[in-house]
Amino acid sequence: MHRRPSLVLAAACALLGFALVTAAASAGDARRAAQPRKSELIDLIQRRRSLVAEQDEALHLLRGEVASARRQLSRRSELDRDAADATTALAMQAGTVALEGKGLAVTLNDSARKATTEEDAGAFRIHDSDLQLVVNALFAAGAEAVAINDSRLVATTPIRAAGDTIVVNFRPLSPPYKVSAIGADRKAFADSEIARRFDRWRGLFGLGFSVRQREVAVPAYAGRVAITSARPS
Amino acid sequence: MLPLVGLAIGALVAVLLQPTVPQDLSRYVAMAVVAALDATLGGVRSSLERTFNDRIFVISFVSNALVAIALVWLGDQLSVDLVTAVVVVLGIRIFQNVAAIRRRLVGG
Repeated sequence: MHRRPSLVLAAACALLGFALVTAAASAGDARRAAQPRKSELIDLIQRRRSLVAEQDEALHLLRGEVASARRQLSRRSELDRDAADATTALAMQAGTVALEGKGLAVTLNDSARKATTEEDAGAFRIHDSDLQLVVNALFAAGAEAVAINDSRLVATTPIRAAGDTIVVNFRPLSPPYKVSAIGADRKAFADSEIARRFDRWRGLFGLGFSVRQREVAVPAYAGRVAITSARPS
Repeated sequence: MLPLVGLAIGALVAVLLQPTVPQDLSRYVAMAVVAALDATLGGVRSSLERTFNDRIFVISFVSNALVAIALVWLGDQLSVDLVTAVVVVLGIRIFQNVAAIRRRLVGG
């Protein structure tokens, strides 16, 4: 039974080579099939994000047109002018017009230092609650209009965390967090509990915290301000 | 020499034809390839040891591949990762066969 093995072996090898290349190619296909799904999702997110930015921009322009149309209208009569003044005052309070004035520019930033243990990691980062406390302190110090990273705070603005990201007006922010507050008093803010705590934390954990008094500008709120469900009780 | 030529021809044919395997079956094809690799190395070994029998070789080549595929399929049905078991066993056998071939060729 000792026959020449070469031919049968060669045929088997041919089959093996064929299957080997086929399997390798299909494994590559499988990897490629899994990969595009991820990059497609990233593309989708980026497209939607730029769409939102475009629409924000369009809204901003349209609001500007409305304001100038109203101004033109107000030149017509005494009555219209009164109504226009009232509208402007309301818009300023609601946060739908950009404002500027003397105030405070507070900058918060995550620490450049790395936490040594897992439990400490939170102490080296700015959290949503930090921003909430700082904003509250600024309002308590007399702020009339506040924006974080050019996102205007209005009565319905949430400051929350989504995972590791702070979300304001449903838009994710990235550090450093620049809080502009028109009308906030420097001394009153510096005396606040949270400002004093941050002064301490800057030394302890290396958190970025700076307060500057200067002319600041806050943009108009880009979201919807209409009230649909609530009515005076 | 002839087996190497056969390997090259098979690979060339696959490159030229570019056969496609359905996504769900690619795992099974991969397992069959590992099993066939083991059987082929066993064939080379036995031919060097002059105990080659083409009937045994063909049967082991086919049955190895079928058993490997069946085990992977069974593992999928039971949601147990039998792929690992097949790969480990065949991997050990491949190493043993290669070692035997090496001993034959260089006498190490």
